[in-house]
Amino acid sequence: MSYIVATEGLTKRYGTRTVVEDLNLRIPEGCVYGFLGPNGSGKSTTMKMLLSLIQPTNGEVQVMGQPMTRATRRQLLAGIGSLIESPPGYAHLTGAENMRLIQRLLGLNQQQIDFAVHTVRLQDQMDKKVRNYSLGMKQRLGIALALARQPRLLILDEPTNGLDPAGIDEIRTLLRRLANDGVTVMVSSHLLGEIDKTAHMLGILSQGRMIFQGSRAELMTASAPDVIITCSDPRTAVAKLTSFNGRMTDAGEVAVPALDDRQTAGAIAGLVHEGIGIFGVRRDEQTLEDVFMHLTAGGGL
Amino acid sequence: MGAIHSEFLKLKRSLTWAIVILLPIALVISAAANTLASGEPLQNGWHTLWQRSIVFYGLFPLAIGIAILASLVWSVEHRGSNWNALMSGPTPSLRIVTAKAVVVGFLAAAMQPVMLVAILVMGKAVLGLPGMLPVQYFGISLLIMAACLPLAALQSALSMLMRSFAAPIAVGLVAAGISVAVLMLGGTAAIVSPYALVTRATQLGTGTFSDTGGVTAGDVTAILTAAVVLFAAVVTVSAAILDRRDTRI
Repeated sequence: MSYIVATEGLTKRYGTRTVVEDLNLRIPEGCVYGFLGPNGSGKSTTMKMLLSLIQPTNGEVQVMGQPMTRATRRQLLAGIGSLIESPPGYAHLTGAENMRLIQRLLGLNQQQIDFAVHTVRLQDQMDKKVRNYSLGMKQRLGIALALARQPRLLILDEPTNGLDPAGIDEIRTLLRRLANDGVTVMVSSHLLGEIDKTAHMLGILSQGRMIFQGSRAELMTASAPDVIITCSDPRTAVAKLTSFNGRMTDAGEVAVPALDDRQTAGAIAGLVHEGIGIFGVRRDEQTLEDVFMHLTAGGGL
Repeated sequence: MGAIHSEFLKLKRSLTWAIVILLPIALVISAAANTLASGEPLQNGWHTLWQRSIVFYGLFPLAIGIAILASLVWSVEHRGSNWNALMSGPTPSLRIVTAKAVVVGFLAAAMQPVMLVAILVMGKAVLGLPGMLPVQYFGISLLIMAACLPLAALQSALSMLMRSFAAPIAVGLVAAGISVAVLMLGGTAAIVSPYALVTRATQLGTGTFSDTGGVTAGDVTAILTAAVVLFAAVVTVSAAILDRRDTRI
């Protein structure tokens, strides 16, 4: 698989404080990569290092197969659109004037500008001053400014911050559409639900360390959900399963954590042998949120 | 050219234009007001009006004006995440720095024609001076405009490096004061300082301070050479600094 972004041992320290530690990021080309972590976990710092806005203390960044350094950044940045922290834009100018600025600066044609503006559906707000934009409109203008250069890679730092549910949904649709068109999107969030269904790949950061990286399905497997057993005699069943840390749920069912399929079969056989009637066996439905909490707790939070 | 063009687009609805118009007019008005208040006619006609407005302008108001222009031009970049956007685009640092210096330099130089018009109007309509402003002052005005460029580049660099609006202006004021003192004590060699360079250019041909009163080819060459060399040096160094700096966290 070819990675559009790959880092090796990426580390950023300020004095003795380590903000990002030993990160090995792998972003496959053409995917939506959800970069998750609580506030202050080092997401923005990582993204800034990817863009060479700040220099890593250790480790290196490869973008589109080339090392990203101060010497190479301007050339590589031509293929990267980004939005870091808050959306950019000159408040005293209108949306159209902001777009014209980037057009002149990067030597873009009018079609590229119109395409970017239409993609974020801002065409009816272009004559308003950015000062009078709502936060959602500013976010969309920021994305349009990043899209105008038709980047291969889009790096968006919390693009849904401060948006209402409709705005969040619109950004999600937009990211999916961009990925379908072949743009690789790296998007960060501290809220799982926001990128849960959009991202193909997930990277989870906690206190500057990557605690998980892989597909959504892999994430679910990484923290195997509880096996829930409905039976005729839950009390006896729990007593039988103490070695597996079995417990009684509020619904009067038996929950057993961290069982793989073979262990599950063994446990059920044991219960049947005890004469307990088994009505149902299933895996607990867990949301990404649960998994996330589970992982971050394991990460020593 | 794209970078310079886009910098000019940013000046729309900018306060910089008010500075460009109002600062020269205010200075000429104060020069004329002093004259009218003293009740005595200008000893040397146009020459005296020029000295009272332009030479005074060159002592420190011009440096302050340029400092304010530079801070205004950079303030939009320090706002929100515009800095991140600026530094995560493909435009090379040298081009960014040059475009900013050119825009600040343009605005700084634009104050001179405003100054000239204000002096002419004041001399003719208010003070009723006979004749016309001596023609040498038109040529000297072009030199002053050229001399503004390195100072514009330097103040632009300071405003780029300092997020504060006022700090680069304070630095400019102190540096202008020191440079004027060095210029008076040490003579023309002080024009290695961009602050002294504008002061020197505004004194040319007036016989005030360290000026001899004449305008020689040597004077003109020295000022133009200093303007070109200093501008190139300041822009090159500040682009290198910008390239080596991390964005703020």
